[in-house]
Amino acid sequence: MENMFEIRDPVHGFIRLNEWEREIINHQVFQRLRRIRQLGMTDMVYPGAAHTRFEHSLGVMHIATRMFDHIQRRRERFLQDELSYDDAGLKRDRVLVRLAALLHDVGHGPFSHAAEELMDTNPQTGRPYKHEDYSAAVIRFLMKDVIRDHKFNENYHITADEIADFLNQQRSAGRSLIWKDLVSSQLDADRADYLLRDSHHIGVAYGRYDLERLLNTLTIAIDEETTSPTLAVEDDGVHAVEALIIARYMMFTQVYFHRTRRAYDRHATLAIKELLRKHQAGSLPNPDVFPPPTSLKNIEAYLTWDDWRVQGMICSGLAGDHGDRLLNRDHYRCVYETPEQPRPADADLMQQIQQRLGTMPWFLDTAEKSWYKFEKADEIEVLLRPGLADETLVPLGIQSAVVHGLKAVNQSRVYVTVGDRPLALSRVIELRDGQ
Amino acid sequence: MSDTVGIPWDRYALIADLSQRLVGISPQFGKTALIKLVFLLQEVYGVDCGYDFELHSYGPFTSTLLNDLDLARGLGAVSVDQVGYGYQIKPAAQTDAVRDRATAFMTKPRTTHALDSLIGLYGKLSARDLELRATIVFVERDMRRKGESATSEALRTCVGELKPKFSAEEIMRAIVELDKREHIRMAS
Repeated sequence: MENMFEIRDPVHGFIRLNEWEREIINHQVFQRLRRIRQLGMTDMVYPGAAHTRFEHSLGVMHIATRMFDHIQRRRERFLQDELSYDDAGLKRDRVLVRLAALLHDVGHGPFSHAAEELMDTNPQTGRPYKHEDYSAAVIRFLMKDVIRDHKFNENYHITADEIADFLNQQRSAGRSLIWKDLVSSQLDADRADYLLRDSHHIGVAYGRYDLERLLNTLTIAIDEETTSPTLAVEDDGVHAVEALIIARYMMFTQVYFHRTRRAYDRHATLAIKELLRKHQAGSLPNPDVFPPPTSLKNIEAYLTWDDWRVQGMICSGLAGDHGDRLLNRDHYRCVYETPEQPRPADADLMQQIQQRLGTMPWFLDTAEKSWYKFEKADEIEVLLRPGLADETLVPLGIQSAVVHGLKAVNQSRVYVTVGDRPLALSRVIELRDGQ
Repeated sequence: MSDTVGIPWDRYALIADLSQRLVGISPQFGKTALIKLVFLLQEVYGVDCGYDFELHSYGPFTSTLLNDLDLARGLGAVSVDQVGYGYQIKPAAQTDAVRDRATAFMTKPRTTHALDSLIGLYGKLSARDLELRATIVFVERDMRRKGESATSEALRTCVGELKPKFSAEEIMRAIVELDKREHIRMAS
């Protein structure tokens, strides 16, 4: 009989772990997540937002497991007949999903998404690396032994590379990729956890929805259009998913894309950039960004950066003007914002405003660049007539008038210093009235 | 300090352009077809559309593109209508106006040649056929990136694991077709 352990979680109650998972959690790489706040500088606006990636990661593992178990219970026959799963295959993939969910955020930088603007360019894609690339590299380079060598792994032979491949959507994950949507999709355990957790800590109700109902209606089916197996919700779960999507919309507009919160994200990014430049000058080709996730040495250097270190350096006055602004709560102020769905004329006005700001310091923030985007998610599939011969998948946007009526958000805002605000506002008014 | 206005006109214009080009060609130009065609445009033709595609069980995917589709629809660049249990993307009142916002990108010879070829070779395919081809291209690129030998057999086996509902023969036919077009590079 394996020993089980429990951790008390403010959102889910007791989260159960086995010895293997406990060892992984006790690994220094995972413990670092206690020093990475989930919402960066959000406490500048909502003081309760001091929770960390550590508790979120436990929550994602917990919800992903429950999702897996519900799907397996409801669709065991389908998994056997359509995807050739047997008991051992399902048990193994359940373990893989748990570990991947647990480790999905180990690559986050200081202040979570604020660090993401400071990642080097991946020469293979021509685009910046993402925290997911760092998570995969951390697992590959530093967690090999703790994953491979535990006695609980003797029946599964799961490797660090396999978990990294699963998280990085590598094709070597093969059939197991169908479970990837439990960790990363419009209907994943990540969002399912952070909406509830962020609401709980911040003290708002916007992110709440009926998790139990959602879990009870999760399923898997074949999409007739493409013949691919796809995660879905049964038709009687449509309202639970609608609630989840509205919760995301509300959290996006009221919390994640809050204008002052976004200003602090930007200040944090620029303060970290200053610290990187000072610390890495002469040792990296591009000292303004984190070392790329391409070697053990780079990953070890990357992991030394966490909230504690950055905050200590900010307190010591090493992080320049933007560090001082964080210390003194002296953020740039928004002087113009477009509507949530800007028209071409709004974009033109924004461009003119930027030109008229001249030499005054300013920055632009867009929902497009925001790491928490609001996307409508009408591609979530709904399974009509589940279990019957004519069961059919339908996009949620067709099944739900509520989701169909929602619109994606692509708002932009421009910010200036408090001192420049009166002049900037007068120029904005001049331009707006002249339109 | 410089920054752009934050509206990706190139991407909206591309969606608008595809909706025009595929009228009367695509059996149903819906969301799956859009995603797979843009993936092929970016990967096979090297037109950088700015999307990061990830591999899912349903082939290469990026939710950013669907977000862009929704925003393009909001601008009147396309309409997205329900047809049966799916969608059809069609030109709308502002299609040309939105295209005009990205003239530099849309009139670049590289973009226009790539789009002409893409539509000619892949425009008529169903979502299912596009998904298979896009998955093959994704896997072949990934094998090459990792220095693995992308023989037709290795590619077929790998794609077969990801797409169990396609027969080995069907996968192999698509591999041969892509290889002939030099859209994938097979190891001998």
